[in-house]
Amino acid sequence: MPNFEKIEYKPISVRELLLEMKNLSELMIDLAYSAALFNDKELAEEVLELEKRVDTLAYLLDMVTMVAARDAEDAEALVGVSTVASATDKISDAAADIAAIVTQNIGVHPIVSEIFERLLKRLIKVKVNETSALVGKRISELKLAPRMGINIIAIFRNKDWKINPDENEQISAEDVLIARGTPSGLKEFKELCEGKKETLED
Amino acid sequence: MPRKRKLRFEEIVERFAELKDTSELMIDLAYSSLLLNNKELAEEVQRLEEYVDKLHTEFELLVLSSGFKKEEAKGFLGLIRLGVVAEKIADAAAEIAEVVLRGIEPHLVLKLTIEEAEETILYTPVAENSPLLNKTLREARIPEETGMWVLAIKREGKCIRPKPDLKIQVGDVLIASGYAEGAEDLKKLAAPQFSSVI
Repeated sequence: MPNFEKIEYKPISVRELLLEMKNLSELMIDLAYSAALFNDKELAEEVLELEKRVDTLAYLLDMVTMVAARDAEDAEALVGVSTVASATDKISDAAADIAAIVTQNIGVHPIVSEIFERLLKRLIKVKVNETSALVGKRISELKLAPRMGINIIAIFRNKDWKINPDENEQISAEDVLIARGTPSGLKEFKELCEGKKETLED
Repeated sequence: MPRKRKLRFEEIVERFAELKDTSELMIDLAYSSLLLNNKELAEEVQRLEEYVDKLHTEFELLVLSSGFKKEEAKGFLGLIRLGVVAEKIADAAAEIAEVVLRGIEPHLVLKLTIEEAEETILYTPVAENSPLLNKTLREARIPEETGMWVLAIKREGKCIRPKPDLKIQVGDVLIASGYAEGAEDLKKLAAPQFSSVI
């Protein structure tokens, strides 16, 4: 039986709640597909944790929107907000379903993983070589989004996944990174991580 | 693995890739429709939802008729479940688009949220002096240059899905998604500032 806790009302803005829900739901989809195709249990567990967080946010958002409605017109507009929030919640549930394929030891047929590049056109998993120019650099220094149109969404280090790492996080040798973005940017990033390409260009 | 079986697998994966890509495109299009309060985009999402339903059935039939061995059953169950998930995501996108089709101006907070999110949506007209003009989408290399993905092109009031050999024309409006940093680059590419100000 899952453990349901009482969630206290907090005066958080709808915008803040919805923003986090939208960002998390999209992040979770990418992490969940990665977990399934790389058959990574720890990563799948992280997705299930995030799902709980989204559930809490959804509950809070429900309360906040109810308090916010002053009249029928308000209520009408706020139904739209609550519909979108519930859609992000559904997306995160869908991501959790993918993660469950991994945690329940069902797995995806290995042949799929063999051809996974075709499925994960916008995702990459790569290990940082000790010779890589990225070692010791902070994520913020790399300016990955403006340079290559990509973003690091998870780091595996010391047998632990860090999801959505902080901009101040430093890259270390042996880190396993999951990044998402444009295929050409990801290709360049892979070469940088593996030490095959030495400098960051603008 | 015999060649015939391998081909069958390729077909299954291909079909799943289409399912997954369409469901994710639908989310982007749904948020775009909300941001722009655009009914055509929202209707496109609804159409795609029907397409995904059809695709999903085809995918399931393909998996079930692939003649797998008993010891492979788990792996195939995993595949079936992945398909179900893609379908759920498509449904969620259709629900988002529905908000637009209700005919009520979407709440300001929705617009602000989409603009502020990590992955944003850009809506930019193509100007006369844009280097993108008369190039096909393949030649324009927008993802490589800006990190943004073109989701749809609005031309003469209609929304067209971007095909690689579609030529960009004056007056086209590009609807694209990507990280906020790339949005500025694409805006400049589509509508460079005129050098002489009248």
